[in-house]
Amino acid sequence: MFVPVSSRRSWSPLIIAAILAGMILAARLSADQRGRAPAPATPAAGAATYAPPRLPNGTPDLQGIWQVRNTANWDLQAHGGSYKTPAGLGVVVDPADGSIPYRPEAIPKKAQNAKDRETGDPLEKCYLAGVPRTMYLPYPFQILQTETEVAILSEYVHTWRWIPLTPLARIPGYESWMGDPRGHWEGDTLVIETVGHNDQTWFDHAGNFHSDALKVTERLTRTAADVITYAATMDDPKTFMRPWTIRMPIYLHRDMDRIMENECYLYAEDAGKPIRGQHPQ
Amino acid sequence: MNLRPITALAAAALAAVVVLQPQAAAQEPIPRPRESGGCPVESKAFYECATAKAKTFTPPRTAEGRTDFQGYWRSRNNGIAYDVEPGPGSFAVPPTGGEIIDPPDKKIPYQPWALAKRNEIRTKSFEDPQGHCAPSGAPRKNNTLFGWRLIQPKGYVAFLYESMHDFRIIPTDGRPHLPASIKLWHGDPVGHWEGDTLVVDYRNLNGRHWFDMAGNFQSENIHVVERYTMFTPDTILFVATIEDPTLYTRPWTLAFSLERNKEEGYYQLEYACHEGERDLQHFTDDTGRGESNTFKGK
Repeated sequence: MFVPVSSRRSWSPLIIAAILAGMILAARLSADQRGRAPAPATPAAGAATYAPPRLPNGTPDLQGIWQVRNTANWDLQAHGGSYKTPAGLGVVVDPADGSIPYRPEAIPKKAQNAKDRETGDPLEKCYLAGVPRTMYLPYPFQILQTETEVAILSEYVHTWRWIPLTPLARIPGYESWMGDPRGHWEGDTLVIETVGHNDQTWFDHAGNFHSDALKVTERLTRTAADVITYAATMDDPKTFMRPWTIRMPIYLHRDMDRIMENECYLYAEDAGKPIRGQHPQ
Repeated sequence: MNLRPITALAAAALAAVVVLQPQAAAQEPIPRPRESGGCPVESKAFYECATAKAKTFTPPRTAEGRTDFQGYWRSRNNGIAYDVEPGPGSFAVPPTGGEIIDPPDKKIPYQPWALAKRNEIRTKSFEDPQGHCAPSGAPRKNNTLFGWRLIQPKGYVAFLYESMHDFRIIPTDGRPHLPASIKLWHGDPVGHWEGDTLVVDYRNLNGRHWFDMAGNFQSENIHVVERYTMFTPDTILFVATIEDPTLYTRPWTLAFSLERNKEEGYYQLEYACHEGERDLQHFTDDTGRGESNTFKGK
């Protein structure tokens, strides 16, 4: 809920605190009722808000090694457990009921994906995870950042996302697994807009999918020393009736000073289960 | 326009077709690149020239006062992606001038048993781990045809390679390496500065890769030290010293030039190696189960 504060009025701190407390209470109640993960912990009313470290140009410093702790990789919606899938709360915050708003004609494909997920999930073939799934894989990634660019470097099959913060024209018709991102700061939030996706990646192991018309808008805000509050809005009119949004905390790793590697398909080959591409029939 | 992933093998095959054209009587090495940064092409002469130029060159600097290496770069070499030694070439490997500067004969100083193994592996150059989309490690990764983006936030130098979307994160604080029991395809690069030169020390490499397409293999005891020294605004002298007492009779060193890519509006596109792979099923040194004997070290 956005509470505008006019520059020509001042709000009593007591009123602000009451509004904040009410918002927090409402968010927690509705989250519990809808099986959705509560919003990341916000400071108690009246406490100082978190001030992130900053680069010399004043933009917040998001650098570090980060990883989610949730089950979003397995299913973005609230779910019970199943074979190789732990139960978990959902991360869809809009629509408010936590469901992904598929177009009616897309629902059968989602159901078929879910049925075939043990072999159909691209991650089962060690393929690239796509966006936003790369941000909630159960593996660490490192953020490196300058005043002109941000790099998100995942252990999972050595994947980089390079996000320029200065204008850079896109190449028309470019399609890729990891998309073509462009970033800018809005206040203390890093906004990343990514188009240029192919239609090969899934959002999760449950078979939630998209078309190549997908546009993802991500927002990263360091809301505590050890937390990036991460939100992603998916806009894909070929697949969904309207845009929808996920939100989750991403946590800082204080137990590692460097990421390692997860060379999925090479390990499969070593284990006698090589993943070989096939010619189209 | 639909851009498709290119496997390393396709790139090599393309290069082989370009190079192995009918030539005049004497077989020339692959088309020689021009001088780089005003220094000659031959590896030892290049190294000496670039070293001399670096002594009087003042590089751009970061806010921390270190050499600012940021930007897009690619290797400018004399065939090192194909063979670090000079040679007549083999399957999909054009003849080259090589890039070794020490020993003076430009041959890798193999122990006799290792040389025999190299010559046997060389007959299966199609088994290059690069064809399995394995990250190339050090120093081979800098031999890429596809270049990299180098970023340099405080305390780090990071390479974002277009080839196989690979990367290296190099802390520049000289921290201790990982425990020796951890062996990684990427190894553990740790950097420090010696004046204007970035020195990167690699341990914890798993030694599963090759130095080139010509079967020059490695072991898990490999230790690589790379040195990056800018000698003109658009060129870097790249030197790598390799030691492995289980394979070689002494350390050996190679050197080549890295050149800045200043193409307007350039940015790196995706090279989805594993996703685009279609052909390994046809040409591995097969165990009969679609696996590769050579890749598994048999």
